[in-house]
Amino acid sequence: MREPIDVLIDKYKNNLFVIAFNVCKNIQDAEDVVQDTYIQYISIKKDFESEQHIRAWLIRVAINKAKNKNMTFFRRNTLPLEDYMETLTFESPESSELFETVMKLPEKYRVIIHLFYYEDYSIKEISNILNISESNVKVKLSRGRMLLKNTLKEVWEDDE
Amino acid sequence: MTNKEKYKQAFSTMHISDEFSLEVKKMTTTSNNKPKLNRLVASIAACVLIVGCATVAYATDFCGIQRTLQLWINGDQTDVTIQFDGNGNYNMNYIDAEGDSKNRGGSGVFIEDDGTERPLTDDELIEEITAPDVQYEDNGSVWVYWFDQKIDITDKFENNVCYIKLVKGEETLYMTVKYQNGYATAPDRYQSPSSFN
Repeated sequence: MREPIDVLIDKYKNNLFVIAFNVCKNIQDAEDVVQDTYIQYISIKKDFESEQHIRAWLIRVAINKAKNKNMTFFRRNTLPLEDYMETLTFESPESSELFETVMKLPEKYRVIIHLFYYEDYSIKEISNILNISESNVKVKLSRGRMLLKNTLKEVWEDDE
Repeated sequence: MTNKEKYKQAFSTMHISDEFSLEVKKMTTTSNNKPKLNRLVASIAACVLIVGCATVAYATDFCGIQRTLQLWINGDQTDVTIQFDGNGNYNMNYIDAEGDSKNRGGSGVFIEDDGTERPLTDDELIEEITAPDVQYEDNGSVWVYWFDQKIDITDKFENNVCYIKLVKGEETLYMTVKYQNGYATAPDRYQSPSSFN
């Protein structure tokens, strides 16, 4: 099955943007990644099994493109995270603290934490998206949680 | 509030710019109509071309010119970032149809009639990257990829040799494939299996 590109843009643009930002830490690069991800979707002839398959594929491509972006010579002028955070309106100081703490995690934990807590993916689904073993996902998720707990203290529940 | 609710609240403040939808819809429409890369037919009569290709993990120390192109990879039009070092070497990154990040590198030299060698130019390397390719799948099938064409040649081998004519618009290539032993193309006739490898 295929979904019209307009529908996919409206449905997933923000999710892809946030996951790309999670990797790039740069809004311009993240927007480029989302754009490239949609262009890749319309460029390929791949037939998808379901809507969830398309969503997972888009997320997987966005993550990989964002990682590639980090390796290229030409990075956009990066806006420091603190400056970008000042443009955001958080609902509470705890939200702001959580956002900042997550963004300071190493990328290998950040992406897994994001897929689990924001995209509601299971460990098995994360393992498929990132093409790594379930045990690897479990370990990184656990370490990421521990780092969050160490910094956020009571703001972050112990949910292992 | 659960951790998931806290996390979603923190990150739901982020939104892609308002102009994004309009821009990307315009881009995706344009991308559908992009002209395909025209591959020049290389004359192989007066020269010998040696191109090496290898899979590499990362090449962060690879210096040179970086270009972003849209190339046909395994039958899919794909955005590719290629770095050329100006000495006939390239390193490229792309995301394949399965969404996997791929990294490939290679190099090539051109041997003139008098035996002197020179590194391939960037355009010559691109020409080689977009040349017909043969892939042997895990399930035993054999495929030829050329631009948007994917041709199953599994059952076309006789005595471990397959001859296949590739046509794209006005361009024709005659391809000789030796089973798991290389292949050759020419614009005017099939190459003899004994003439290569």
